[in-house]
Formats: sequence, C-alpha cells, structure tokens
Amino acid sequence: MEPILCLKNVVLHQGDNFCLSIDNLELFPQRSYALTGANGSGKSTLLRVLALLQLPQQGIIQFNSKAKTITDKRQQITLVEQSPYLFKGTVYDNLAFGLKLRGIHTKEQQQRIQSALEMVELTALTQRKFDNLSGGEIQRIALARALALEPNIILLDEPTASIDGDSVQTFESLLTTLPSRGVTVVYSTHDRSQPQRIGSEVICIDHGQIVNGANARQNNTSENLKENTIWQRLTNVHEN
Amino acid sequence: MDYLLESIRAAIELIFAFDQDIQRVVWTSLYTSFCAIALSATLAVPVGVALGLTQFRGRRIVITLLNTLMALPTVVVGLVLFGLFSRQGPLGNLGLLFTPIAMIAGQVVLATPIISNYVLAAVEGCDSRIINTALTLGATPLQANIQLIKEIRFGVMAAIIAGFGRVIGEVGVAMMLGGNIRNSTRTMTTAIALETSKGEFAFGLALGIVLLSVALFVNLFLNLLQQR
Repeated sequence: MEPILCLKNVVLHQGDNFCLSIDNLELFPQRSYALTGANGSGKSTLLRVLALLQLPQQGIIQFNSKAKTITDKRQQITLVEQSPYLFKGTVYDNLAFGLKLRGIHTKEQQQRIQSALEMVELTALTQRKFDNLSGGEIQRIALARALALEPNIILLDEPTASIDGDSVQTFESLLTTLPSRGVTVVYSTHDRSQPQRIGSEVICIDHGQIVNGANARQNNTSENLKENTIWQRLTNVHEN
Repeated sequence: MDYLLESIRAAIELIFAFDQDIQRVVWTSLYTSFCAIALSATLAVPVGVALGLTQFRGRRIVITLLNTLMALPTVVVGLVLFGLFSRQGPLGNLGLLFTPIAMIAGQVVLATPIISNYVLAAVEGCDSRIINTALTLGATPLQANIQLIKEIRFGVMAAIIAGFGRVIGEVGVAMMLGGNIRNSTRTMTTAIALETSKGEFAFGLALGIVLLSVALFVNLFLNLLQQR
C-alpha cells in the first residue's frame, strides 16, 4: 500500500532553534497514529508540518493526492489545534466556513453539518453562539468542523487534554471509527494508554526526532533510545 | 445667559425650518467626508492588515511614521496640498484647488494614518490562531486574510469611525483647499467659523448642533452593530 503522506529528510528551524529533523516518516491511509513525547519534543510542530501550515527549510513532504496547489492539498488535510479557535458567529457558521470554501452550499451543506454534529453528539448546539460554549464543547465542535469537510487526513493536537472524562470516552470512540470511514488520523497525546484504547500505532518523538514508530528509520541508536526510556516503554507496551 | 438661550432657540428653529443654506452646508460636509473615508479605508485597511501580519526591515520606521502622521496639523496638510494644487504647483493644470475634490484629497491624507494605525492595533491584538484556522479549513492566504478582517471587524469599524471623526470636524483642510465657497465647498466647520465671526451666532450654533448630532448618530450606529 502506498503511504498517503510521507516526510523525507525534513529539517525545520525556528530562528536559531532547531525544531524538527525527520529522516523518514510514512503515514498510510485509513490508519490511526498517536504522536507521543514530552512537552516541547516537537509534536505540535510535526502536526503543523503535516498540515502544511509550516513548511520545512529542507526535505520533502509527499502527499499522495492529485491536488496541485498547496491550498488544494490543505483542503484534504485538517488540523484541530489543542485549543481550537472558533470564528465569531454560531456553531453552524463555523461548520459552514470550510464547506463554503469548497463550494458546498444549501442542502448538502446542511446535511454535512448535521451529520458532523451528530458524530460529536452536539446537534442541540447548532445555533449556539461561539462565545457561549464550554472548553469541551469547543473541542468537539472543532472536530465536527473538521469532520464536516470529509478530509483524507485529520490531525489532532492533544484533543482530549482539556475535556472531562465522559467527553474523552465519546471522543475516543469517535476517533476509533474514523479510519473505517476512510480517514487517516494522527493525534498527539500525553495519555500513555490512549493509543491502546483507540488502537493507534505509536510514533514517539523526542527533541524533534522520531525515536520509534511509523516506519521511522533514523537515529534509533541505543544511546538515543536509552535517553528516552519512558517513551520507549510506552512504545513497547503498545507494540507488545 | 439670555443671549445664549435665545441663540439656542433660534438655532433649533433654523434646523427645523430646514434652512436651505444649512442643508447645503451639511450635505457638502457629509458628501466630502464620506467620499474621503471610503477612499481612505480602501487604502488604509489593507495597509494596517499587511503591517500587522508581516515582518520586514524598516517596519518600526513605517509604524513610527504613521504614528507621527496621526498628529499631522490640518493646516500643514492644507498648506502642502495647496502648493500642489495651486496654479504654479505641479498639479495646478488640473484646476482642483477650491473644489470638493481637493478637500477630499486633503481629508484622505488626514484619515489614512489614523485608520491604518487603528487597524494595525486591531490586527496585533487579535487572536494569532485565526489565520492558521482558516488555512487548515482550506482557505487561500487571501481568504484567510479576509476572514481575519471579518473577525476584527469591530476594530476596523472603530478605526473608520475615528477617521470619520477626524475629517468631519476639521477646519484647516476645508478652509485652505476648499476656500469656503458658498454652495460649493462650504462645510459645517468652515461655515461655523465664518458665520460666528460675522456675528451670526445662532446660525453657527445650529450647524454646531447638527455636527454633534452626526457624531452621535455615527457612534450609535457603531454601538448597534457591536450589539448584533
């Protein structure tokens, strides 16, 4: 099977700071990947690179798609940030934003919005204003906004970090079903058991480098792995 | 005190009598100010957004220049443009001096730095996630910037209202470039100055009341929009 998204020899610096160095990362369609690593290890940066929002100074990002322009490619990859931004207006307006950009109006627009809100169990909030929502509701609406676009790849930055226990369960159940709906899911998490609950492959990242997972073939020296014992253990638990 | 009360009564009578001179003066003021603000906003809003979103060498100098231009005395703008539009000036052959077009040009110069600076402040103060959210939902960079302007629309409107306040109440440019010609370039502010100096205090007061009412309505309009 061809990978849907592939990073080769990608190097990213922000100012003088080294951020990311990925020799090889292949993501396959209709699979679920969990990005794990300590704070500041580069998970969010990697997600922004995968979302084509931050372009690396070196290396290749191969996206298996017929899309030619970067905007066309971005229309097939959607990132939900850790604290998502909702535009001023109603929940409906927010979900309609990306659909309008794709020329989806009237009935299909309504159907997609309804269906996406059903998936996150928030149909009752369709006409609610953006500033009248809890943190968990914002997170789920941002996911619904991404799902309504029916992207090939959905990227989630710590999606369950700011939501309560019940909502986490709802969220995880939904994430589990997405690959079977044709969506490749990549999410970052600090919850060590979450990848197992969702059934995701683990990509462990440390100091901007992948130390294990997803066809990573780089720097997996014993010294490197010893330095990252916690994440190594996490990866091993999952793989076993 | 009687003199003041009598003048206010006379002024109100003039307003409600729909005095033709007052109507013409009010129309000239509104027409030139709205035209100037429309042109100025078209120019200044993109400048403010671009300055707020981009980093380039000399950006601080441009911002300092805009800040300085905000405090530009109206008579200085009038003087410089008078030099350009007068017969001996480089644009003298266009015959624009003492026309509403010259007044509009002067008012554009006055309002543009104000609107740019206010929009710049709104962009710098806005949520940094707006652009990336729009991009990841499939917007082009232009569409993402338009979405940013929509998100900070109250800040943009406040900027435009501030610019409008500056031009509707100024005297220097209207006097020097318009010439205070009856039925042509006489605005509320120049008419107030002229009529009061002639001893027609009630007429000046009537125009003063109209000027204040315009400012009040513009602000009420902004408040209504913000509540929606």
